[in-house]
Amino acid sequence: MSHLVLDGLTKRFGGFTAVDAMNLSVERGEFVSLLGPSGCGKTTTLQMIAGFVDVDRGGIRLDGADLVSVAPNKRGLGIVFQSYALFPHMTVAENIAFGLEMRDVSKPDRDKRTLAAMELVGLKGFADRYPRRMSGGQQQRVALARALVIKPALLLLDEPLSNLDAKLREEMQGELRQIQRSVGTTTILVTHDQHEAMALSDRIVVMNQGRIEQIGAPDQVYDRPASAFVASFLGKTNVLAGTGDGQGSVAIGDLVLPLPGAGKGPLQLAVRPERLSIAAAGEPGLEARILGRVFQGTHWLLSAQSAAGALTLMRGNDGAAVPTEGETVRLRFNAADAALLPGGAAP
Amino acid sequence: MRRNSPPALIFHGLFVVFMLAPLLIVCVVAFTPEGYLSLPTRGPSLRWFKAIFDYPEFIRAFRDSLWLAALSSTIAIMLAVPAALAIARYRFPGREAMTTLFMSPLMVPHVVLGIAFLRFFTQIGISGTFVGLVLSHIIVVIPFALRLVLAASYGIDRRIEHAAISLGAGTSTVFRRVTLPLILPGVVSGWLLAAINSFDEVTMTVFIASPATVTLPVRMFLYIQDNIDPLIAAVSACLIAMTAALLFALDRLFGLDRLFVGSGKG
Repeated sequence: MSHLVLDGLTKRFGGFTAVDAMNLSVERGEFVSLLGPSGCGKTTTLQMIAGFVDVDRGGIRLDGADLVSVAPNKRGLGIVFQSYALFPHMTVAENIAFGLEMRDVSKPDRDKRTLAAMELVGLKGFADRYPRRMSGGQQQRVALARALVIKPALLLLDEPLSNLDAKLREEMQGELRQIQRSVGTTTILVTHDQHEAMALSDRIVVMNQGRIEQIGAPDQVYDRPASAFVASFLGKTNVLAGTGDGQGSVAIGDLVLPLPGAGKGPLQLAVRPERLSIAAAGEPGLEARILGRVFQGTHWLLSAQSAAGALTLMRGNDGAAVPTEGETVRLRFNAADAALLPGGAAP
Repeated sequence: MRRNSPPALIFHGLFVVFMLAPLLIVCVVAFTPEGYLSLPTRGPSLRWFKAIFDYPEFIRAFRDSLWLAALSSTIAIMLAVPAALAIARYRFPGREAMTTLFMSPLMVPHVVLGIAFLRFFTQIGISGTFVGLVLSHIIVVIPFALRLVLAASYGIDRRIEHAAISLGAGTSTVFRRVTLPLILPGVVSGWLLAAINSFDEVTMTVFIASPATVTLPVRMFLYIQDNIDPLIAAVSACLIAMTAALLFALDRLFGLDRLFVGSGKG
């Protein structure tokens, strides 16, 4: 049985459907990210699990028991907010011990567990500091310790790292992942940052307009996007127009690729920039004119225009010649690197 | 930070002098040995401070004023806290009307309020009582209490309360342990401002006070209608000294800039 189950979860604000009949099962110990642009319903979903937003329809079950009818302060969930939401008038130790105090844990036991939590997040010796005297990263650690010390059934993370600068964010990602692994708490992360979702999660739930677009492991969602939205939201991608012959073959310019499951007529393919290569002389390919190139250190990013649409390709900085602006090249890719997108004609 | 230019410094200096000079002169005059308002040219004398004790009605009025200020501002703040929290976080029908209603005593001239209360209290039979005085003072000080508590309430991050709830705190615990401490600077400064305004109120109180319930400012007002002597300066000097002591104590306890500006001591 799944640990957490969202069953047809729905929330409307007036005429706007924020979350639309969402179904999701999360296994014990799993790290799942809700990823999507702002307004996609990911935060509302988290708030419904936490109990701060009422559920309009559908259910939430934790270990098979209904969670919707449980008061938010009885759910026993740990939450970490983007704004940290530490109690500014309490010290680090008081902040972390708050949840234990609410559970009537005895003072010696409380002190012991608070200390262990501070050690877990690397804040030993900060017990008597006030939050305003700490950096953003340190405050975030306090928030994490405060949420974990109560041994929550679920850890809910609401954009926990977006207030940190890029370098610190990367560090905290690694640490967060490692801490989650070591304590084994089932974790739901809400984020709009695809890199964060890919770096941290076991599975990613891509959401758009209150609906789930795709659920899958990070590499699966990246390599095999189920929709044009997922393809464009996760990393850079090229959406190319092709024509199916109805017999499992697709033509993109001069390039003809075997794509089982492709229908007849116009269709759309998603290909990652790093999977496009330049065809050898005489090989069939998609003709494209280079419009511009940008040097990125490890690689070049080239923008080009082809009959199948505008596209971006990547050339490694490996000493080989890089096409210049105005040049015409023939591009190719393997059928395995193309994802067939549902939904008719090219944009 | 940019330094002030000389003209700005002169302006600020004049401004401060203009604010403080009257207070200073009253205090100096209080030490005069003469029988009329004058600067003490023959050395300071405590004659008029001793004279206060010959007028027990001043002492009684002072005590009544303190009680009145404490009671009315405490009740006002107890009304202001829930009202401010409701106004700051919820959108409900009548929200604007409620805000305006609470603020309206600021807009109505106190003379008008005085006459209205006099008429109304006579009607319901509490004219000239201390209860009537307290009720009327609650009404006039509530805008000050509400303003400051409201400002503090708007500044609260709801997620801090959500964090407390998620950690197992019930409604009353969240209020006691999280919400109230967060708005405390607003509550204390709102209470203080309300108490000062109540203590200070003359225009309205003059209509409502009866011989049995005369506040200190009204007593002083009535006194100078008959006599102009340094006694009133001595009473004023005592008030200024007590206010200064109170502010000093509060600054030591909480930090005044934190109370009124909300910037915190760091």
